[in-house]
Amino acid sequence: MATPFAAMLDAMTRQRGVTAALVVSERDGIVVDSNLQIGQDGDRVAALAASLYRKARLSARAAGMGAVSFMQLEAPGGRLCAVGGGALVLVVVAEPTVNVGLIRVELLKAIAGLSSAGGDG
Amino acid sequence: MMQLAVVESWIEAPLKHFVSEAGAELALLLHPSGQVLAQHGFARAVDVMSACALAAGIHASAGELGKLVDGKPFRGLHHVGRERQIFLAEAVWPRGAYIFLTVFGPESSLGLVRMYFEEMAAALVAAAPKEAAPATPALAEHFERDLNRNLAVLFGRA
Repeated sequence: MATPFAAMLDAMTRQRGVTAALVVSERDGIVVDSNLQIGQDGDRVAALAASLYRKARLSARAAGMGAVSFMQLEAPGGRLCAVGGGALVLVVVAEPTVNVGLIRVELLKAIAGLSSAGGDG
Repeated sequence: MMQLAVVESWIEAPLKHFVSEAGAELALLLHPSGQVLAQHGFARAVDVMSACALAAGIHASAGELGKLVDGKPFRGLHHVGRERQIFLAEAVWPRGAYIFLTVFGPESSLGLVRMYFEEMAAALVAAAPKEAAPATPALAEHFERDLNRNLAVLFGRA
């Protein structure tokens, strides 16, 4: 059965270089829905990415910088990008050579859908 | 405040890793009979004793309930409070099954706790002595003596 997030996740994984897309509960770090490749540990990515996003959001607020719109982590083996909407976080795992600009646009477009499907948290 | 204490030294490193990485406020490792093996964050022996008795009871009840409704025991349990959450699960290593109870606050999450619990359970299996489980029943005649001995070790009175 398709979830409210299926179209959003499909749009993310259609992007060249994207290897995984997950909708995660920010508070619990639990996967709500995901598009993963065989062998990827979605639970682990979800737990750590949600924790990272939550800490980034709280840090930005503490520093008086306002709400976090887009978070990106760059590592030698790839990139992790995330946006938050309500109580949910949309996380994308991608190859190092991915076009981050395109991923960012797609993620920012998805925020409204994330908020409406996941509540305001 | 008493931080981390273990009855057997091989438990210390995996438990310490769990507590530090998962951001747990309290952690308790116990035998299904209610005998404590390790604790983190408790200040008083009486609190450890109460938490062990309650955790053993919850684990036994959940196990029976699982058998009733799902044909096999439930292995994990999560409760959410206003500020704190508890996670209770079974860890199995060569000597048998043990119960793990942890309390965590808003700095952590269920996802992190589950992930680091799985890591800890694997590390405990690797570190555990390989001899078979003791043949004595869980509620042997020496239960109270063993319980008091373990509490004394944890709280530095042994």
